[in-house]
Amino acid sequence: MEKISYSDEGQFCSGHVACAGCVEALSMRVILNAVGPDTVGVVAPSCSAVILGGHPMSAAKIPVLHGTLESAAASASGIKRALLAQGRDDTTVLCLAGDGGTYDIGLQALSSAAERNEDILYICFDNEGYMNTGGQKSSSTPLNAATGSTPLGKVTRKKNLIEILAAHRIPYIATTSPSHLSDMAAKIEKAKAIRGTKVIIVLIPCLPGWGVADNAAVKTARLGVESGVFPLFEIEDGVRYTMTVDQKNQPIDAYLAEQKRYRHLSDDARNKLQAEVDETWARLTAMVDNCPL
Amino acid sequence: MNKQLSPLWTHLTSENRVTGTWRSALPNYQNQPSPCLGACPVNGRIAEWIKQVKDGDLRDAWVTLTDNNPFPAIAGRICHHPCETACNRRDLDETVGICSLERFAGDTALAEGWSFPPPVTERPQSIAIIGGGPAGLSAAYQLRRRGFKVSLYEAKDALGGLMRYGIPSYRLERSVLDGEIDRIVAMGIDLHLGAEVMNQAALATLQETHDAVLLATGASLPKRLPALDYARSWVIDSAEFLAAPVEEQRSRTGAQVVVIGGGSAAMDVARSARRLGSEVTVLALEPQDRLPAQKTEVDEAIEEGIVFVCGAMMQSAETNDNGATLRCVRVDFDPGDVPGTFTVSPIEGSGFEINAATIIPAIGQDADLERWSGLAPAGPVLGTDSVWQTDTPGVFAVGDVASMNRFVTQAVGMGKEAALAIADMLSPGIAAPAPAAAAEVEYSRINVAYQDTHARIQQQVTGLDERLTGFEEVQLPLSVEEAAAEARRCFSCGTCIYCDNCFFYCPDMAISRTASGYEVNVDYCKGCGLCVAECPTGSIHMQEDTAS
Ligand SMILES: Cc1cc2nc3c(=O)[nH]c(=O)nc-3n(C[C@H](O)[C@H](O)[C@H](O)COP(=O)(O)OP(=O)(O)OC[C@H]3O[C@@H](n4cnc5c(N)ncnc54)[C@H](O)[C@@H]3O)c2cc1C
Ligand SMILES: Cc1ncc(C[n+]2csc(CCOP(=O)(O)OP(=O)(O)O)c2C)c(N)n1
Ligand code: SF4
Ligand code: SF4
Ligand code: SF4
Ligand SMILES: [Mg+2]
Repeated sequence: MEKISYSDEGQFCSGHVACAGCVEALSMRVILNAVGPDTVGVVAPSCSAVILGGHPMSAAKIPVLHGTLESAAASASGIKRALLAQGRDDTTVLCLAGDGGTYDIGLQALSSAAERNEDILYICFDNEGYMNTGGQKSSSTPLNAATGSTPLGKVTRKKNLIEILAAHRIPYIATTSPSHLSDMAAKIEKAKAIRGTKVIIVLIPCLPGWGVADNAAVKTARLGVESGVFPLFEIEDGVRYTMTVDQKNQPIDAYLAEQKRYRHLSDDARNKLQAEVDETWARLTAMVDNCPL
Repeated sequence: MNKQLSPLWTHLTSENRVTGTWRSALPNYQNQPSPCLGACPVNGRIAEWIKQVKDGDLRDAWVTLTDNNPFPAIAGRICHHPCETACNRRDLDETVGICSLERFAGDTALAEGWSFPPPVTERPQSIAIIGGGPAGLSAAYQLRRRGFKVSLYEAKDALGGLMRYGIPSYRLERSVLDGEIDRIVAMGIDLHLGAEVMNQAALATLQETHDAVLLATGASLPKRLPALDYARSWVIDSAEFLAAPVEEQRSRTGAQVVVIGGGSAAMDVARSARRLGSEVTVLALEPQDRLPAQKTEVDEAIEEGIVFVCGAMMQSAETNDNGATLRCVRVDFDPGDVPGTFTVSPIEGSGFEINAATIIPAIGQDADLERWSGLAPAGPVLGTDSVWQTDTPGVFAVGDVASMNRFVTQAVGMGKEAALAIADMLSPGIAAPAPAAAAEVEYSRINVAYQDTHARIQQQVTGLDERLTGFEEVQLPLSVEEAAAEARRCFSCGTCIYCDNCFFYCPDMAISRTASGYEVNVDYCKGCGLCVAECPTGSIHMQEDTAS
């Protein structure tokens, strides 16, 4: 087996208040260490804000501004411009938000920043719902998944934010998963070296929100990747698609079985979900195959 | 604590918060036995030495192997490998080729000329070992490396027992046998070849001149078929046949050979005779899928053109112009509840005849118990206690003479166990106590997401033409690359491989690396169990923790 390759420099601290077994905290550990100390953070209200903060303590060794849910990308843009004005061109501005703060409430600010190609590294912790507020649906919640506000399952499909972002032709978009920590660190390092707007979406199986066992979020994320529900890939300049972990080797069932939010899924509903995954995968692989070099 | 961030950001770090109080269970690092270890007759630390092969540390692998078994190159060729039957990887795809790897490490040691170091301390006590087969040699090795004087008495002119006078060279190359035996002798064994210990009186003399005596005389008496007249020129006993040099074998076998029996010895006889140019038929009581011989032996025999007549019995044999006519009958075979307690019933009207120039019965061997008139038997073998001591204090017995577990590595394992008991008796405390029995790591504890996915690498075999004209080895060795690849298939069940997964997967940074492994920080561990779930080897488990 390959060893996980990144080095923990202590940028993320023990004693944070994430749930036991939370892979958002795990991902934060990789991201903060990969991006390094010369970084200013902005965090939108979300689990990540809770994990990082709790006045007067901070789990991050970098300074972090706690912004608003609508405007994380705008705050990050402003901070970057202030740093540039100070001559600190190389300082990374890292913006952390949930899917609610990205797909829904903060989308306008993100779209504007992307359109201006602001030099920010934007991370979306995609736990497919408004989780720190008790688990309501977001536009990232997938078809048929039960949430507090869709107890019988969501009736619409997950918004394809990646294609929206690609339409902005920003230099770098990527997906990554806490089951693939080396991949995550490599993508952060790559994004950090690029000037302009970079967005990385991280799959976060939420323990209480999805009904996943305390020790099973990494496994769930891995099954998400292996079943093609959450493919790992990159898009450069909005057009060049590359698969980074090219594996879709099983149906969605093992992935679903780890999660209580899909309990009582009918065969029909399961098949619809599988068909959607297959279709999205086919579309994605076509983009990879046909992408300009 | 009070860990401070920069004064500009007037915050404390979250390390001031003790989240360990949330926990109800704590991970515990504990190497645990793999199922292959439990099944291995010599208790070889398989997960450990395969890891060393994986890392390219072949010398270390050989040292680990020979801690329990001085014959890795031999065992890698002819062990019946219960370890592979028990291997956890079976549940993923196919078991690990443990034997082929053991052979690889053993062959490397022979090629490199690695030898055993002389004992650190010489001890005054001496032990007489009677019989230089695998059981006796294993005991000699274990006693000698602990500094005892060992006198070995062997009736034949060369050491090895059935490894030399039973197992043919196409399964066990003689240079390999010699190499692994010579290495033991070189440790300083007082060797007496051609020195048969004749009887109980001779044994008593050895008892007087030594501090302990170990009997490892094997099972030398062939079982006899009542329906066969062994005085006929067309009957050869299998043990005698296999022990004879090839030229003598050739001169005594006719064009058509019938071998009676379905075990390993019968396969060896049949395949040897086939190599001498004979047409060979094997006649066995058992149906073909129940033959006691190992499956590969039967498969290779069939490849070599040996005809199997299974589920049948010889009732009589009479001289004809070219040898003998065997009158046979089909039988119903009932295996019985306990191995060896089978019954057969002839099927009426199913009689048939086979012609043979030579009949070689190979139906098993009995131990010569009469010779040791002063030692109490237990059924067909010498009676021994849990450390292989006979009813006479100071006299031990191992191998085929003391057990019906008749395999080379079983003999090696018994020899080791008796040697440790003798060492402990003569010099209390020198043999390390056996590790406390712990539960074996189950397949469910292995995280297969981190495991190599390629299929088992099969050993190549010599081409059929070559096999039918000589006694060259059939199974060919793995290449260096193949061995490395096969070693990577091992899960290292229960043996930490220092992969750092547990360190990296902890969302709470509660695991740190130490000089000898890893440590859990109880102040921060929330007890989620991710480290355990993502451990590829099953080397950590969650333990209830009510302290916090
Ligand atoms: C044809 C054949 C093939 C086999 N193939 C396999 C195989 O592939 N794999 C496997 O695991 N097992 C195999 N076995 C079984 C295996 O060989 C035996 O179980 C094993 O050799 C027993 O070891 P041992 O040391 O107890 O006895 P032996 O190997 O029989 O050695 C006993 C030694 O003691 C000597 N001796 C006996 N009496 C005296 C005396 N009075 N004084 C001095 N010396 C004496 C003998 O000459 C002999 O050298 C096979 C057996 C046979 C017959
Ligand atoms: C405009 C606005 N509406 C509502 C809220 C309350 N609120 C805080 S966090 C949050 C949920 C955010 O969900 P998401 O971005 O997915 O992050 P998660 O909690 O899932 O990590 C909400 C609704 C808010 N802060 N601002
Ligand atoms: S995978 Fe390796 S350690 Fe586990 S049982 Fe098989 S050989 Fe032994
Ligand atoms: S992963 Fe960390 S917090 Fe979870 S049980 Fe292991 S040591 Fe404790
Ligand atoms: S995860 Fe790796 S390093 Fe940790 S105990 Fe298991 S094998 Fe050892
Ligand atoms: Mg969310």
